Amino acid sequence: MKTLGARKAGSSTVWALLLIGTLALFGVTLYTIFVVAPVEQQMGIAQKIFYFHVPSAYAMYIGFGVSALGSLMYLIKRDTKWDAVGVAGAEVGFLFWLIVVCTGPLWARKAWGVWWTWDPRLTTTLLAGMIFAAYLALRSMGEAGEVEKRFAAGLAIFGLIDLPLIHYSVQRWRGVHPTVITGKGGGLESEMYWALGLSFVAFTGLAILLIWMRLSVERDREQTAQLRFELMHQ
Amino acid sequence: MRSLILATAIAMMALFLPRPNALAQEEAAASADSGAEDPAEERAAQFVGVKGADAERIPGGILMLVAYAIVWLLLFGYLFRMRMLQRQTADELRRLGAEIKASGGE
Repeated sequence: MKTLGARKAGSSTVWALLLIGTLALFGVTLYTIFVVAPVEQQMGIAQKIFYFHVPSAYAMYIGFGVSALGSLMYLIKRDTKWDAVGVAGAEVGFLFWLIVVCTGPLWARKAWGVWWTWDPRLTTTLLAGMIFAAYLALRSMGEAGEVEKRFAAGLAIFGLIDLPLIHYSVQRWRGVHPTVITGKGGGLESEMYWALGLSFVAFTGLAILLIWMRLSVERDREQTAQLRFELMHQ
Repeated sequence: MRSLILATAIAMMALFLPRPNALAQEEAAASADSGAEDPAEERAAQFVGVKGADAERIPGGILMLVAYAIVWLLLFGYLFRMRMLQRQTADELRRLGAEIKASGGE
């Protein structure tokens, strides 16, 4: 208990600073999106969904990437702290996946006249969500034993393979999903770039905060499981 | 059975692999079309800002509001869930700590 308290006290200042910074940045981002960035000529105000949709996808990559990394380290080192990293990353990644697949169709309705299409990027994104939903479903079934943890870790590593497919699907398979930001430059006006850039940083901070919080909770849960085990075997 | 599978595979290849003439025709059509970009492709590659009052009459505000509402609902919903989880875990830790102390003292 003492170790747990000391760990929490040590990191709480950094966490608080990150929280305040992220909240302030969100405020500035919202101002930039709705006041500074102009309304797009063809899509109208619905185009402003873009400023949350794209950074959410990026935060989803962070979450799923962290989960895959934690899972890989868990399979190598068999240390439960890495398993906790895997769970935290998967949950946060799945949260941002939900945001992406809920905001995307609202944009698509305006842009394409349909809520959904089997475009390569949309399909591979859906696949990523299904893989990590399976991971979370497996981990939610009571106390996960060693076998469940390892199987889930394998799922997370498998899900990592899908992430570059999502990113490069539009170029590779000529989908209809927009690619306004490319390696050769972008199709945005400067104020739009500012709004998008700030949103990217805000969502990065938010993803880190949420993963940190969830990791802390998961490590506490592991400690309770350990204590329960000790109590049973006394 | 094996010959049936092999026949099916050959039939599928014959159906889906383009013939050499068809390939050449597709390439010619693609190079002819590359100069002309349809509005959907043009729209997919750039965003152009509008100046003036036109923005006020363009629909889509409801879609945008719903999208932002979903984002905030999901984020706060997750924060609430984590808070509940934190409380449960803290209560469980306290209870287990007390039980271990009590059983250690017996």
